[in-house]
Amino acid sequence: MADVEADRFDRFRRDAGLTRGELWLRYFELGGMSSAFQMEAFLYGALTPSPHDHDVLAHALNERFVELGGNHPVPYVEDVEPV
Amino acid sequence: MAPGARDLRGTAWYHGQAFCSEGRPSRKPKPCAVRPALALCTNERSGRGVPVTPPDDPPEAFSLSLDVVGPTAVITLRGRIDLPAVTDFGTLLDQVIANGYSSMVLDLVALDSLADPGTSLIADAALRLADGGRQLSIRSPSIAIQRQLVADGLGELIRDEEFEPMTGVADDDPVALGARSATMPPSLTLLSSPGASALPTDDDLIDATLRLVVELARSTVGGADGVSVSLLRHGQLATVAASDQTVLDMDAQQYATGEGPCIDASTQGRWFHAPSLDVEDRWPEFTPRAMALGIRAILSSPLVAWGLPVGALNIYSHQPTAFATDDQRLAMKFAAEASAILSDAGVDATDDQRSERFQASLRSREVIAQAQGVLMERQGLTEDEAFTTLRIRSQEHGQTLRARAEEVTRSTRPSTPPSGSGSAGGEGSGTEEGDHRG
Repeated sequence: MADVEADRFDRFRRDAGLTRGELWLRYFELGGMSSAFQMEAFLYGALTPSPHDHDVLAHALNERFVELGGNHPVPYVEDVEPV
Repeated sequence: MAPGARDLRGTAWYHGQAFCSEGRPSRKPKPCAVRPALALCTNERSGRGVPVTPPDDPPEAFSLSLDVVGPTAVITLRGRIDLPAVTDFGTLLDQVIANGYSSMVLDLVALDSLADPGTSLIADAALRLADGGRQLSIRSPSIAIQRQLVADGLGELIRDEEFEPMTGVADDDPVALGARSATMPPSLTLLSSPGASALPTDDDLIDATLRLVVELARSTVGGADGVSVSLLRHGQLATVAASDQTVLDMDAQQYATGEGPCIDASTQGRWFHAPSLDVEDRWPEFTPRAMALGIRAILSSPLVAWGLPVGALNIYSHQPTAFATDDQRLAMKFAAEASAILSDAGVDATDDQRSERFQASLRSREVIAQAQGVLMERQGLTEDEAFTTLRIRSQEHGQTLRARAEEVTRSTRPSTPPSGSGSAGGEGSGTEEGDHRG
């Protein structure tokens, strides 16, 4: 699985200016299947997301960064570990 | 203060260094070249034992944070408040005083040093508050700071008794979104609490915070000659914070002509950069009027609360191509922080809007699931591979994943009745979804 520091996702979330609630909604919107509570655990590294969950969460964040004029700063599983 | 007992609607942090989001994720955030550099970050709700710490806190940094606990504004100073930082401290004090809180507490527990003008600012603030029958108190200074305060005649302001914090009421638990009818919006709960009559309104708090964002953006974004925040309130776009008259005039010209980057960013929720108005053709009526005001470049970043565009952070310059990449990033950062403040405050997101948003999320899920189904059928992919394919194609085409999914599902429609969607495999030429097997 992606070797990222524990709260990497949460740092991105803060940089993107999203509340945890809004991020979960965006994650859910893209088809994410984990509960809001599980997603929070991913954010802080308490639970390791499946590769698919990792990518859905990363994409939810990246779409927000694009809205803000940015690029896709959050790595996907394949960026970290070749599939 | 007990964890979980804070009302964090208006909490903001300021750091002595600005951090840019890097394009590549592997790098640590690094300080920007701008000076005096400040970054603004919203605090986290402290409800679930999540540590309330700024994202990065280098030893050299100072930070100022503002919490609102009932009618009391609590300003926490950390680190070393040097001369440039004192200016920001003064701005923050002014804003808080202007906002009419009935009392102010300066929490100095984590303050290492305070440059001399700091104590004069505190003395001045105490006098101004006392004039209005309000009071300022100082909590938990270190022995050294305490000596400094006493030497400057501020000893009597030091109090260490606990004050009664209001119970935090906000909770961003998204599960409640779908069934919010039972819970009142946090702001309403707070405003209707007994004894809360001295509270400034939500709008006042938000405006004060946005004024700070404007001030910080103007002083830190390179090339910025003026900054404003426009917000959609009651369906109308209005400027709620502006650094100067020119930016107010610029916004007014956009409202008058019904076009411009601020309007587009506010309504479309996207970022608009006009690097040089001399060659700008997107807003033919507005552009000459802005140029008449001496404006040559505009950067409008969207403010989004609960997934809905609610306004824009607008920065202009008298010089064309004034905003370098780092400045654009910094603007993005400020817009993101302002958005988080607005989301926390529940700006303009009524229960109806939130429910609408939730419905939209359900529709989006459905479209994406359908598109995944189409790709699985056509290309023999697994569900996860179909998602990856959609994601990669959407990135390549600069689309959202949902927009890509809509295209894929549309490509099945012309020749296939809904009931026969299983036979769509033969006409996949409408999209170019490549094979993405693991």
